[in-house]
Amino acid sequence: MEIAVLAIGVLLPFVLKDYLTVYATRVLILCLFALSFDLVWGYAGIMSFGQAVFFGTAGYGVALIARDLGVTSILLVLPAGLLIGLAFALVLGGFLLLGRHPSSVIFVALGTLTGSYAADRVARGWYYLGGQNGIPSIPPMSLGSYDIVEGPVYYYLVLGILLLVYLVCRFLVRSQFGLALAGLRENEQRIAFFGYQVQRLKAIIFSFAGAIAGLAGSLYAFHEGFVWPNMLGVVMSTQVVLYVLFGGSGTLIGAVIGTVAIEAVSFWLSNDYQDIWPIILGVLLLLVILFRPAGLISLILGERERVGRFGRPPRERE
Amino acid sequence: MDNLFIALFEILSFGAIVVLVVLGLGIIASMMGIFNFAQGEFVLLGAYVTYIVHSAGLPVWLGMVAAPFVVGALGFVLERSVVRRFYAAPIVAMLGTYALGLIIREIVRGLIGGLYLSVPEPIGGSLRLGAMHFSTWRLVIILITALVMVGSYLLLARTAFGLRIRASLENPALARASGISTNAIYGATFAFGAALAGLAGALIVPVFSLFADLGLRFLIQGFVAVMVGGVGSFAGPVAGAGVIGTLAAALPWIIPPVIADVLVFVLAIIFIKFRPQGLISGKGV
Repeated sequence: MEIAVLAIGVLLPFVLKDYLTVYATRVLILCLFALSFDLVWGYAGIMSFGQAVFFGTAGYGVALIARDLGVTSILLVLPAGLLIGLAFALVLGGFLLLGRHPSSVIFVALGTLTGSYAADRVARGWYYLGGQNGIPSIPPMSLGSYDIVEGPVYYYLVLGILLLVYLVCRFLVRSQFGLALAGLRENEQRIAFFGYQVQRLKAIIFSFAGAIAGLAGSLYAFHEGFVWPNMLGVVMSTQVVLYVLFGGSGTLIGAVIGTVAIEAVSFWLSNDYQDIWPIILGVLLLLVILFRPAGLISLILGERERVGRFGRPPRERE
Repeated sequence: MDNLFIALFEILSFGAIVVLVVLGLGIIASMMGIFNFAQGEFVLLGAYVTYIVHSAGLPVWLGMVAAPFVVGALGFVLERSVVRRFYAAPIVAMLGTYALGLIIREIVRGLIGGLYLSVPEPIGGSLRLGAMHFSTWRLVIILITALVMVGSYLLLARTAFGLRIRASLENPALARASGISTNAIYGATFAFGAALAGLAGALIVPVFSLFADLGLRFLIQGFVAVMVGGVGSFAGPVAGAGVIGTLAAALPWIIPPVIADVLVFVLAIIFIKFRPQGLISGKGV
């Protein structure tokens, strides 16, 4: 399954027209973003309704680095984006998740949502960040003297990074750590009784996911060539929730498939049915939540992929 | 001195609006344990109903009377068909009601386009007191908010119906054993919360005008207010709404609006972090 998706990913630019390759690149970046949300919600059961904060701040961060410092080298900006995402996630996650009182799920969800909303408002109102219009015309990323512009090269760059991150995530969720995370999702108290530092586990995975979101955000900023407040806000945050729920939370490939499916249908419909597309999306989401809580992926893969599902003994590592 | 009074009036009237919006949200969250993400869209629908009635040539106040009933009925239908499946899982409920809200919002957006539509105040003009002018409509909002607050409190605390609601909240199994149909109670409570949102939307539409994201603006503020006040009681969300509404209206007079807006949220989240039970802890009315 995963290999089939990868093969399609590699071959795609050969069959697609140029403008579609650009669109496909954007979708891949969003896949990366969806992975980060899937890790926190699908695996650890932390409802992060504000994942776009890390996506957006990293985007803004690298945009500022490129605009004000003139640094566009890929070897510098991508790690910078990663670190920005990590730092913000550490601060926000540390505040929301750690501490003497264990936080309720609802509080974390609202806290992240509020964080996202607040970041959106700050970006809109701060002149230095371009206000409503964001930061336009970011120079392209460069490697030495070579400019990486949108097109097949950028596509393969993103695909490579996505593959790398995917493999790291895959290794992570199949490790003892991942098993503990899945346990956290199913029964937090029991994991605590086993002697795991529950809050610390959560903070670690939250920060890790923040770093991935930051990486995705910086790729997105350079790919689009501009950043704007919506990248930080509630809309983007809920978008990624849609992707993951749709594809199937708790499976890595589900996040990727959900993103591709939604974006592909939205591209296909957006010409003729632009007005009713969000309504269809809402209806679909409702149907998925009601009748297929495991997402689209459950049509193909079955329960096997979701490690440690409730009601059956957790499998050993493969 | 006059300026101070005008500022106080502004703060009071905005606080009243937030209380009105939060009341329905708080009742659903406290009595049913569901954070209803579609609540903002119920507000939007209330506003929209008022607009439709107005554009049909009928008087605005008629729309305002109709709005709570229409929205309440819709809330009841939604609870029966969709929301009741979510009671077991609060997070799924958040996502499900968010999807509902998305559907409602986008349908309304499709109906009104990306426009800002204005609805006139049914009672215009202003009240003069010395050299100060107070908008009559805002006074009416403050009055109605107070009435609705007292009315809801009496309904929950003093009537047999309110007793059933509280019983179903506190111990559903025992309530069922005592012959209370908790299903019907949940449906009615949700419809009541939705109706309050509809009323809020109808009343505030002359102040804010009608646009598709009207509800979204109040949703997060409302949730934060409920959390600050404390989930589980009637007084909690109201107190929280009062605090948040007052802060949100008062701070922009002192510091730049953008910072004030964000500061309110940051302060609220820090407060909840260190006092998760909220201003007023404990269940019941």
